[in-house]
Amino acid sequence: MKSLFFTQPFFQKNGKSVALFFLVAIVFWFIFLVIIPQLYMLDLSFRANIPPLERGGPKDFYTLEHYRHFVFGSKTSADAYNFVDLGVFGRTIIVSIFVTIANLAFCYPIAFYIAKIATPSTARLLIVSLIIPFWINELLRSFALRILFANEGVINNVLTGIGILDQGILFITYDVGLYTGLIYAYILLMMFPLYNAIESLDVNQIEAAKDLGSSTFRTHWRVVIPHAKPGIVSGCTMVFMLTVGALATPVVLSSPNTLWFPQLIYQWFNLNDNWSRGSAYSIILLIVSVVFVLTMMRIFKVRIGEIIR
Amino acid sequence: MRSSNTMNFLMGIYILVFFTYLFGPLIIMSFTAFNSAEFPAITPWECFSFRWFNEGKIAYDGQHLAGLFTDWRLHDGLISSLIIGAGVVCLSVPIGMAAAIVLTQVKSQLRDIYYSISIMPVLFPGVIIGISTVVLWDRIAGLGGGGFISDVGRNGIFLTILAQTCFISTYCFLIFVARLQRFDQTQEEAALDLGATQTQVFFKILIPYLAPAIASAAVIAFLASFENYNTTVFSILSDQTLTTVIASKVRLGISPALSALALTIIALTVIAAVTYEVLRRRQERKYIESQEEFVKEKAASSRVNKEYKARLKIPKGIVALILLVIIGSYVATQVVKNDLYGNSCIEAADIIKKSKFLDQLQTLESNQLSDEDLQGGSLGGNQDYGDIFGDPTLFQDFGGFD
Repeated sequence: MKSLFFTQPFFQKNGKSVALFFLVAIVFWFIFLVIIPQLYMLDLSFRANIPPLERGGPKDFYTLEHYRHFVFGSKTSADAYNFVDLGVFGRTIIVSIFVTIANLAFCYPIAFYIAKIATPSTARLLIVSLIIPFWINELLRSFALRILFANEGVINNVLTGIGILDQGILFITYDVGLYTGLIYAYILLMMFPLYNAIESLDVNQIEAAKDLGSSTFRTHWRVVIPHAKPGIVSGCTMVFMLTVGALATPVVLSSPNTLWFPQLIYQWFNLNDNWSRGSAYSIILLIVSVVFVLTMMRIFKVRIGEIIR
Repeated sequence: MRSSNTMNFLMGIYILVFFTYLFGPLIIMSFTAFNSAEFPAITPWECFSFRWFNEGKIAYDGQHLAGLFTDWRLHDGLISSLIIGAGVVCLSVPIGMAAAIVLTQVKSQLRDIYYSISIMPVLFPGVIIGISTVVLWDRIAGLGGGGFISDVGRNGIFLTILAQTCFISTYCFLIFVARLQRFDQTQEEAALDLGATQTQVFFKILIPYLAPAIASAAVIAFLASFENYNTTVFSILSDQTLTTVIASKVRLGISPALSALALTIIALTVIAAVTYEVLRRRQERKYIESQEEFVKEKAASSRVNKEYKARLKIPKGIVALILLVIIGSYVATQVVKNDLYGNSCIEAADIIKKSKFLDQLQTLESNQLSDEDLQGGSLGGNQDYGDIFGDPTLFQDFGGFD
C-alpha cells in the first residue's frame, strides 16, 4: 500500500499517530458518509416497500416497481404513462436549464465590469455587497420574494393602489415568484466562477483585439468568452445542479398546484411513507445530475477539477 | 468616444437594476418587520412597532402570532441548529484537513480519482444526501435491536451532523487545498534536518501554517450547516432546526416575525462585513504607512522625503453615521409626535378593525323583536300555539312507533 498509492511511504512520512488520524478521517468520510449511504439507497430503491418487520421475509424481493411507477404510473391508472410525475420531472429540468441560462446572461456583464472595468475599490465594494445577501438563509430570501409577490403582496398592492391594475396578478399561482426566486437563489454561484475566470484575462488581449478593429461584441465572443470558458462551465454546472435539487425555494414560492421534483421526492418520503419509492426518485435525480456534469465536461472539454474550486 | 459613454451609462443602469434585484426584496422585507399589521406588508401601513421582535400579537379573534423573542419553537430550533453546527465543525474541519494533506502525498496517477471522490458530495443534490443517510441509519438502528445503536440511529441531531458533514467536509477540503498549494515544502525539510520527528513537524509547522485556513473552514462549515435546509429536512426526523421551523412557519402562513428574524440576520451580516472591511483597510493603511516610513528612513535626500502636513481627516464612515443619527432621530420624533408608534396607535388600528365587526353586530341587535311582536302583532306571536307540552291529552292516542 505504501508504494501503491503514495509518493512516499505514508506512515513514515507523517509519523504513526498523525497518519492513523488521516486514515481514519478519510476512510470514515469516503466509506461511511459518501459511499455506503448512496449504495444502500440504491439497494433500497429496488426493493418493495414493506414495513421493517417483514424485512428478510418472503415479501422482501428485488423489483423494478418504483422505476416502473415513475414512467408508467400505478397499475390501476388508465393512462399509458405517468404524466403527472414525468411532467413534474420534465418541467423541473427545462426550467432549471432556463434558470441557468438566465443566470449566465445576468451575471456576465456584472462579472466583466467588476473584473475589468471597475476601479479596485469599487470592485471590492461591489463584491462585498454581492456577498451580503447570500449570508441570509435561502428560505428567508425566498420569503422576501413571497412578501413581494403574494396576492395581497407589495407589488399587487402598489399597482392596484396607483390604479394601473384593477385586480392583482396571481404571481404565485403562475409561478412567476418561483422562477424569480430560483434565479435569485443561486446567482452568486454563477457570479464568482465567472468573475475569477474573467479576472485572470490579460487586459492587453482585449485592447489588442480592439486595436485590430474588433467590435465590442466580437471581442467578447472571440477573446473573453473562450478565456472564461472554465468559469462559465463551472458556474452553469453549480447553478443547474442546485436548481434541480432545490427544495427550500419551491417550498416557499411554488404555487399550490405545481410541484418541483425534490418536492415530489419529499412527498413520497415523508408524507406517503414510501421510502423505497423516494429512494428510486432520488436515484433518478442523481442520474440526471451526474449525466449533466459529464455532458458539460465532454462538450466543453474541461476537467472536473476545473468545475469545482 | 460617444459610444463608450453610452455604454458606460447603460452599464451603470444595468448595475443599478441588478443590485435593486438583489437588495430590493430584502429591504422591503426589513420594513415589513416594523409594520404592526398581521400580514407582512408595506401597504396598508398600520403603525411603527417593535412587536414582531418582542411579544408578537394576541389577535382579537384569539389567534396568537408569536414574536421573535417569545417563539419557543424558534428558540428550540436555534439551539439544535447551534449544536449541529458545532458538531459539523468538529467533524468536517479535521476530515477536510486530513483529505487535503493526503492529496499532496497521493501519486499523480491517482490524484484525479482521489480529487473526484473528494468533491463528489458537492455535486450530489442535498436531498439525496439527507435521504441516503436516513435510510442507512434506519437500517442500522433496526439491526441494532433496542439498544444504544438504535437510539443513536433514530436521533435526528446525530443524523443531521453526519449528513451535513458528508458535503461540508468538501468545502473544508477545498479551502485547505487552496492554502496548501502555497505551502513551502522546504520548511518541513528544514525542521526534519534539525531533528524534529514527523509528528512534531505536523504540529509545529503544518498546523500553524494552516491556522488561517482552519479558522475560515470552521466559519464556512458552521454557516453552511446553519443555513442548510435541503439535507436537514430529511435527516432531522422528528426534531426541528431553525431552518425547518422557518420552513414550516412559511408554509402555514407568513408572519412578520419572520421578517424580524431576517432583519436580525441581515443586521448581523452587515455588521460583520463592515467590521471585516474596516479591519482590512486599517491593516492595509498600516502596511502602506510602514512602507512610507521605510522609504523616508532610507532616503537621505529631501526629494523623496516629502513633508507630511498634519491634516484633520474626518473618516467618511463617521460622517455617514452622524448623518444617519440625525435623520433617524428626526424621523423618530415625527413618528412619535404623529402617534404612529406605540400601543396607543396599535389600539387605534385595532379599534378601526373591530368597529367593522361592531357595525355588523349593531345591525343585528337593531333587528331584535319587541315584546309586542312576541305577544302577537304582525308576526302572529307565539301564543297561538299554546303550551303543547303542558297538554296531557295531546299524545293520548299515540300508540308509539311499531
